[in-house]
Amino acid sequence: MFKITVKGIFTHRLRFALTALAVCLGVTLVAGTLVLSGSITRTFDAIVEQTAAGTDVQVRGAQLETTAVDGSKQREPLPLSLEKKIEAVDGVARVAPDMSGTAILVNKDGTATRNGGAPNLGFGYDPDDPTIRITSGRAPEKKGEVLVDESTLELAGLAVGDTTKALIQNDPQNVTITGVFTFGSSLAGATLVLLDEQTAEATWAPDGEVPSFTIGADDGVSQETLRDRIAQVVPAGTEVVTGDVVYQEQKDSFGTAIGFITTFLLVFALIAVFVGAFIIANTFSMLVAQRTRELALLRAVGASRGQVLRVVLGEAAILGLTGSVVGLGLGILLAAGLQAVVKQSGLEITGGLPVTVSTVVVSLLIGLVVTMLSAIFPALRASRVAPIAALRDDAQTPPGGVLRRGIIGLVLVLAGFATILPGSLGDKPQWALVGVGAALLLIGLLVAAPWLTRPVVRLIGIPYTALYGTVGRLARENALRNPRRTATTASALMIGLALMSSVGVFASSANASVSDIVDSELTADYVLSSGGFTMIPTTVADEVTTMQGVTSVATIRSAPVQLADGSVFAIAADPRAMTENVKLDVVAGSLDSIDAGDVVVSRTAADDRGWKVGDTLTAEVGTRKNQSLTVGGIIDDSQALNNPNMIVPLDLYAKTVPAAQQGDFLLYVKSDGTNTAALRSQLEDVVKPFLVVSVQDGDEFADAQAAQINSLLYLIYALLALSVLIAVLGIINTLALSVFERTREIGLLRAVGMSRRQLRRMISAESVSTAVFGAVLGMALGLVLGLVLQRALVSQGLETLSIPWLTLAIVLVSSALAGMVAAIIPAWRAVRLDVLKAITAD
Amino acid sequence: MGAEAIARAIDLEKVYGQGEAQVKALRGVSVDFGRGEMTAIMGPSGSGKSTLMHCMAALDRPTGGDVEIDGVPVRGLKDKALTQLRRDRLGFIFQSFNLVPTLTARENITLPVDIAGRKVDQEWFDRVVDTVGLRDRLSHRPTELSGGQQQRVACARALVSRPAIVFADEPTGNLDSRASAEILSFLQNSVKEFGQSIVIVTHDPVAAGYADRVLFLADGEIVDEMVDPTADKVLERMRGFDATGRRS
Ligand SMILES: Nc1ncnc2c1ncn2[C@@H]1O[C@H](COP(=O)(O)OP(=O)(O)OP(=O)(O)O)[C@@H](O)[C@H]1O
Ligand SMILES: [Mg+2]
Repeated sequence: MFKITVKGIFTHRLRFALTALAVCLGVTLVAGTLVLSGSITRTFDAIVEQTAAGTDVQVRGAQLETTAVDGSKQREPLPLSLEKKIEAVDGVARVAPDMSGTAILVNKDGTATRNGGAPNLGFGYDPDDPTIRITSGRAPEKKGEVLVDESTLELAGLAVGDTTKALIQNDPQNVTITGVFTFGSSLAGATLVLLDEQTAEATWAPDGEVPSFTIGADDGVSQETLRDRIAQVVPAGTEVVTGDVVYQEQKDSFGTAIGFITTFLLVFALIAVFVGAFIIANTFSMLVAQRTRELALLRAVGASRGQVLRVVLGEAAILGLTGSVVGLGLGILLAAGLQAVVKQSGLEITGGLPVTVSTVVVSLLIGLVVTMLSAIFPALRASRVAPIAALRDDAQTPPGGVLRRGIIGLVLVLAGFATILPGSLGDKPQWALVGVGAALLLIGLLVAAPWLTRPVVRLIGIPYTALYGTVGRLARENALRNPRRTATTASALMIGLALMSSVGVFASSANASVSDIVDSELTADYVLSSGGFTMIPTTVADEVTTMQGVTSVATIRSAPVQLADGSVFAIAADPRAMTENVKLDVVAGSLDSIDAGDVVVSRTAADDRGWKVGDTLTAEVGTRKNQSLTVGGIIDDSQALNNPNMIVPLDLYAKTVPAAQQGDFLLYVKSDGTNTAALRSQLEDVVKPFLVVSVQDGDEFADAQAAQINSLLYLIYALLALSVLIAVLGIINTLALSVFERTREIGLLRAVGMSRRQLRRMISAESVSTAVFGAVLGMALGLVLGLVLQRALVSQGLETLSIPWLTLAIVLVSSALAGMVAAIIPAWRAVRLDVLKAITAD
Repeated sequence: MGAEAIARAIDLEKVYGQGEAQVKALRGVSVDFGRGEMTAIMGPSGSGKSTLMHCMAALDRPTGGDVEIDGVPVRGLKDKALTQLRRDRLGFIFQSFNLVPTLTARENITLPVDIAGRKVDQEWFDRVVDTVGLRDRLSHRPTELSGGQQQRVACARALVSRPAIVFADEPTGNLDSRASAEILSFLQNSVKEFGQSIVIVTHDPVAAGYADRVLFLADGEIVDEMVDPTADKVLERMRGFDATGRRS
């Protein structure tokens, strides 16, 4: 029996190759994701390990719930005076207060030295820190001297002894590079600049407070012993933990972030695998149908049902395994390729290409199991072939009725609508309902697809039957001959395109909403914003205020506010300046209440949490616990302000946020309109030293926000493209098998005078029908889902519905083109058929 | 008869395979098929009947000699020209699988004309359809027709483009005697009424009796011919062959 299995594969090698490719591509994405995330994990593990190498014990303030700008949890600050106390503890070799912030070096071209979005870190230099080794030059000794790590120096194109500018904690200054050091591990693209301890203290601990101390133990003193000793000298509430704990915590926190990326990528990988499953199922059903006589013959000569089942499943297993193994190999290459791409955006991955046992097992298992599962129904059908079928001429079982599937599918679709509409149209989106509804719609459409094939393909056929006459009609009828097969082939394409179009509608609506809102809300002439991890120094606002023609400047600061039930996005701003630059609709209370020390909340936040004017909330703000905030007003959500949940007074911000962390994240500038061009160049001059601060007018500001949405959109498109590619493979496969099935018919057509060109056209038109059918279904579903998503998110600011007609048109035309491309090989095979042999074939 | 020939084989040779496995299916066949005549070809299995038909009908290339259709030599024609020749000048009827299953009877009949992108001559179409008696079956698909009806559709298709000559390889091979008789008398009628030229291969002396002339083929050569045959005369002649045995 095994021989028959192997022979079966060998005889049908082309279609097995195509099917294996479908398995392979899905597995490629799975394996690539796993390998990539493995290498990212290793990269960060190495960094964490290196960082933790000099840490035996860490002393830190009690953890607060609020998050700092860089996303880390904030801690209650500790006084620097604690250093002396800790030093006195027996067994302590060194104590280093942790002083860090941002430091950006100006490179030799006069621009910021940075690797895409990777952070630019500055630290105080501790000569006793074992993780830092100076390889050339000397340590910094005073303000204006910096020690730079090797890769940062290389990136900047500078050398030891060079003088350049630097932006250290938002303070532009001239610095001399006194030396270069190695950190002992890659920095994943981050840049590192070290200052002497005194300057670091002045820069990052101006209030005499630091978040933590790093302590090194004397030889022979264990981490635990030292921890317990130190715990006795520090004030109550202060945390003392071992270096191992710190290491584990950091590892975990990176792990969470990497896990998120991995999950994101895996979702797309699994979509690809899912799409591949359709192709596999289709191929096997066709192969079984074509081989009915062969299989019946096996049964007639005494093979049991189980044996026939095993023949088919055995083929699936070999195919799945082959596809998966190749996919695994390609996945490793893909990971290498992705590393190169990611490097462009600043994340340098040095973790190699770790192929762990679990990566291998998961990849192979996914490929194998999906293939076997997809083949199980065709295999069962094969095992039910009666021996007598070997003797019948019309061995192919006619496709059963599709009406039943149509009805079931329709019911599911209706149920989907019944779930998704209430879930999305209410005041508040109910995501569980939306999710279930979307799944029902998709499944319903998949089930109903064979029933929809006839009417939709007829419609699609109108242009080419009009154009090609009989040849077109033949193509249409061929596509309709087996609606299930056509539907399955099209469904594979439908899935990818449905996701593409719903994401497309969402992104287009988001873009439109952003620019609409920015247009209607923003009254400022210019917006100054800082990129990534840095902020605009508070001095910039002071300078801009004094400029000629400037009538109003609104400083928007990001305030870390944490409520008992989670953090909220809060900004600190002056109400008057704000309303001069941004139109705000006050729903209740007043904005001026901010002046009185109250806070103003957004309508969404108020609805979500049931806040009313006059309510008092208890919150952690910055580094201060138990602040009581009174709601003084409610405003409509404001996209122009980046949709804050809450606006707090600037006083509160100044009081609660450490000076080192203070700064504006947005700055709105309104002028009297006399000479905006001149103002712009003035503004640009002012922000120039701050390297990463940009000046944008309203349109540019909207575009920049849209650009963020678009880059995510393109990433998703690229990831979904693989699913679409797999679907196109499916079309090739189905067509090739159909051509093979219809050898005699093609011979007949050729005998009665069909030219090669007409034959090619016929197959191409059939292919295009299938592809466009899939595209139409996919886009219909995608439009519905996109629409629902937009409706559901109206209250979140997605107010404008925008359907990307152009994109959809491109998708439709591309699908038709993909159909044509898919037809090339099958058509070539059909055209090559010898007329006489084809007619006499059996 | 030479001037009257609509199709002719000139010293036609067909060799399959090479070396040891070589089979000479046709060993220099020269024959003229008369215009407006129905010619039957008979002979034992493996004698080369189908091979001769395929070569005559430009479906296969002979390894030697030439074929002329209506005075045009087929040798040297490229695929495109061959396709056109088949489409416009030749008609075919096979033993089985004669119809495109996705098309209705009407569409199957007009297929060669449609493929050529020409207009169907409605009058002619009606005449052909009425002669084969398919008027009420035109909108049916092949699966909804009996074997005999399917074969009648195939006949109608072979005639509808007014080909110079129709080749039929055992068109009644799968049919019972009644259905066979219908097909054969229809073919005979088309010769008488429309002056159609037809060549048919058959094993059935009764079928051969419908023809104007019978050619006997054995081992790739024409061994005999009979003009104005009847079933009895043909049967008798075949007995004679059996008695003398096959040459080899
Ligand atoms: N494609 C081929 N390859 C090799 N030999 C062939 C091929 N087709 C036919 N032959 C051989 O050529 C000879 C003539 O075959 P052909 O099909 O013409 O016979 P036939 O007279 O039509 O027989 P039947 O009455 O059984 O249909 C036979 O010996 C056959 O084996
Ligand atoms: Mg034959």
